[in-house]
Amino acid sequence: MIVRYESWGAWVKLESTAALVAVDRDGACALGLDGGAAWSAEAGPSAPIEVHLSVTERCGAGCEGCYIDARPDGREKPRAAILRELDALRDAGVFTVAFGGGEPTTRDDLDVLAGAARERGITPVLTTSGLGLTESRARRLRGFAQVNVSYDGPGAAYASVRGFDGAGAAERAIERLVHAGVRVGVNVVLTRASFDRLGDTLARARSLGACEAQLLRYKPAGRAASLDYLARRLSAEQARGLGPMLRSLGDSFCTDGAFHVRIDCALLPFLSADEALTRDPARLARFGVFGCEAGGALAAIRTDGRVAPCSFAAPTDLPGERLATGHATDPTLDRWRAYVAEPPEPCASCPLRPVCKGGCKVVAGFVDGAHGPDPECPRVLAHRGEPRVTGDA
Amino acid sequence: MSAERRVAPDHILAVRLGHGANCSSIGSVVDTLFATAVVGTAVFVALAAALAVEDVRIVGGDPEGAAPAEPEEPTAPPGEGAAP
Repeated sequence: MIVRYESWGAWVKLESTAALVAVDRDGACALGLDGGAAWSAEAGPSAPIEVHLSVTERCGAGCEGCYIDARPDGREKPRAAILRELDALRDAGVFTVAFGGGEPTTRDDLDVLAGAARERGITPVLTTSGLGLTESRARRLRGFAQVNVSYDGPGAAYASVRGFDGAGAAERAIERLVHAGVRVGVNVVLTRASFDRLGDTLARARSLGACEAQLLRYKPAGRAASLDYLARRLSAEQARGLGPMLRSLGDSFCTDGAFHVRIDCALLPFLSADEALTRDPARLARFGVFGCEAGGALAAIRTDGRVAPCSFAAPTDLPGERLATGHATDPTLDRWRAYVAEPPEPCASCPLRPVCKGGCKVVAGFVDGAHGPDPECPRVLAHRGEPRVTGDA
Repeated sequence: MSAERRVAPDHILAVRLGHGANCSSIGSVVDTLFATAVVGTAVFVALAAALAVEDVRIVGGDPEGAAPAEPEEPTAPPGEGAAP
């Protein structure tokens, strides 16, 4: 197991099973561990546990809502720069690196990059559209612990999110990866059109051999930062219905342990409408549910090499190669962390605050023009006396 | 070995299951939230067992130097601020 000491104890990444465990100091001592200076020195911000590393801005898919505005002639990050960034991740004690783009499979060295991450003790994972993924290229992705294929649903559901019907190509990619022995998940972007088809989407993904579905909130970044966002985002009713939807999906697909459902950090605010969960927020914390960890447990490194709080946020001036030494002191990252530590109402008194951490600041920045409470959170809407979000029919 | 390193499930503050392979936003398994208490307890018991037997490798800096035998109060309690 891989151990990283924290002021409160230690993060422990198990190697016999895919799990990252937080143990307190007494628990760490019981395991024969001693945090030493980490337990006696004044605690500063922790390093990220997960970093999202963009290796290219090249992509020919042309998804209408691409958050980095990737294009067929987009720039590609030199391999040497990526290796230096992986060195920095190793030095910081990062556990997982998620390679993305653009379309990362436009590179011909992904197997080399996966190996380089593993050599540094970092678990490599990958996100791809799956478009054009041949059987031979699928086999070359075996070095990744998991590959997620963007799959917003069969046929029309996919097209409603991305603007073209790539569902068939994504399904072939899932099958080829499974056949190659790669652990496969799917990324499902939730929009007003795709939300109500989630059951069909997950049923299809599971039947193709996927072991996990990651549900993603549609975010106003890149090409999605337009007025069209207001028509595509979830309705207020759908947002309030996320909790019941997750229960239904769990009952339908997750009872045998062979398939799991994940939600992304930006979906946490919607769970504030779920009375059962808000009554027991400690349960979310104990099961490691993360809200906005931008600048905290999460960091992103863009194709130009600059660190960002998350993949959707504006970058800092900190080079990725200096992540290990600069993450704790970078003023922009510090501003993001400081907001989370003392958010305004209605977040300050929200029972989900310790896990939600104020919702998606990227959405807040686009909709409200401010680094503030998530304007689509049901609790925030009620606080503002706005029962419906703008753009609802 | 495992007897010497036994950790009670109560000392597990949090667990993040799975690898997660999304490159744009951090994800969390949630179907376990809705599982029965028995299943939830079983997860933590299994994790405690795994923690007791795996070899240890330290990352993210050298903890040598001050090494208090008795744990001090954590400066960033879990669930408030830093992590987990």
